[in-house]
Amino acid sequence: MPVHVPSTTAGVEDVVAVLVLLTEFAMLRGPLLRSQVRLYAFQSLAVSVLAVVVAATRHLADIYALAGLSFVLKVVIVPAVMTRLLRDVDVDLAGSSKLGVASSMLVALAVSVFGFFAVGSLHVHSSLLPSTTLAVASAVVLVAFVLIVLRSDVVSQAMGFFSLENGVSIAGLVIAAGLPLVVETTFLFDLLVAVVAFGIIIRVHHGRSRTLSTDELDRLRG
Amino acid sequence: MTPGFAVVAPKAVQALQVLTIVVGAPLVSGVISHVEARLQGRRGPRILQPYYDLAKLFRKETLVTDESSWVFLAAPVVAFSCYLIVPLLIPVLTTYPLPLGYMGDILGGGFVLALGGFSVALAAAESGAPYAQLGASRAMTFGALVEPTILFVVFVVGLITSTDLPYALAGTVRSSSEIVRPGHVLAAVAFFLVVLVDTGRIPVETHTGTLELGMIDEARTLEHSGPALALLQWGSAMKQLVLYTILINVFVAPFGLSSNGAPGSVVGAIGALLGKAVLLGLVFAVIDNLFAKLRLYKIPEFLAAAFGIAVLAVVVFYVGPA
Repeated sequence: MPVHVPSTTAGVEDVVAVLVLLTEFAMLRGPLLRSQVRLYAFQSLAVSVLAVVVAATRHLADIYALAGLSFVLKVVIVPAVMTRLLRDVDVDLAGSSKLGVASSMLVALAVSVFGFFAVGSLHVHSSLLPSTTLAVASAVVLVAFVLIVLRSDVVSQAMGFFSLENGVSIAGLVIAAGLPLVVETTFLFDLLVAVVAFGIIIRVHHGRSRTLSTDELDRLRG
Repeated sequence: MTPGFAVVAPKAVQALQVLTIVVGAPLVSGVISHVEARLQGRRGPRILQPYYDLAKLFRKETLVTDESSWVFLAAPVVAFSCYLIVPLLIPVLTTYPLPLGYMGDILGGGFVLALGGFSVALAAAESGAPYAQLGASRAMTFGALVEPTILFVVFVVGLITSTDLPYALAGTVRSSSEIVRPGHVLAAVAFFLVVLVDTGRIPVETHTGTLELGMIDEARTLEHSGPALALLQWGSAMKQLVLYTILINVFVAPFGLSSNGAPGSVVGAIGALLGKAVLLGLVFAVIDNLFAKLRLYKIPEFLAAAFGIAVLAVVVFYVGPA
């Protein structure tokens, strides 16, 4: 098997993307809601760093602006809002996962292998497309889905959704770095809308049922 | 390379590799426990305290229970000599392989390390003391669970270099264009977690506690005393430095090593290694202060996470886009 050797730039992008994936795994494992939020902040920081790397290596000035914007929004504001909400609801532990820790890790592992395999079987070979980073990004998205599916509390699901956006951001950054800033910013504002929506869900749900568990919602069936 | 400079003979460098580990190990342990104490707001022991401890223990007498056989006394010596052998196999000071460097590959080094652990466990079982046996049994159980992770990390080394020689992987990392690859990073992270387990650090074990029920590695040496205990403590410090060296000089940062055997560069390499090991030790000390110890039955989950990362590292090579 001839071993492909990435350039240093692609290598740095890969490493940051892998860090994001590892954070996603850690979020799947983290038992405390606060640790989920902290991990999300770290993950977003890695994505911002990736944006800076992309901007520096491809000489795209507006990506710097995007990196700054995503830092302010995803590393500072969103975690701050979530922490504030968590302080109000006074619940520490994340809802129990439907599977044990080891099993959910295995599921996440299988799912991310599928992500790698799927991107690998596309057979897209282009010097412009860092397909390894793309594969990692797709794995991040899939593991975020696992997090959303397996965890049964609103906050974990919200964090899963936000980190899914992080995975999409990575893919967007490496595939279409030249995309107009307006489009990229729109994604970020989508996130902001999601934060508001999840904030309202957390407040209302906790206000009605004194818990964050989504198992309560099953009883609403008619 | 300038012609006509003095070169340290490869065999002398090799001896220096072992000597660096032997002499430097207590120093690294001392710095770590000092920093750890400072982080907790204590004054902490002197940095050279491990040397004083060893000197004190060597002056004392060894007590052996009536029931113990020669295994009890031989084990510390066997373990110590195992930790003397491993530095011959790994790049401690040089980028080029030394005469005995190809005597064994990464698996060979792993086997020698495992033999050291095995002999200590055997001595603990031989002592007949319940806590020592408890520790030995736990150490063997978790050791068996760590093994698959190490194997997959070795597979990654094999996939990157087409060999399983530590020198080859370090060379790959040094040629900077190949330094960062997802599989490599994942393998390094998995090995980091393995080091955390094997050196008895916080998510797995508190190494400063005195409560026998929470002990794993520490409990095994409870029955030893005098020079035998000194050898065991020195050996575990050496094992720690050997693992740090593998993580640093093979996976993460094989820089500052001597590439030509010039006396200055060899001395520089000794300083660089100890400096890097202390830096890594600081990371471990910070982790010690940030996290709580896992319950004993949660440790397999931690090891499963490490294994998962190692598997992912191999998978990235096989099914990921080339």
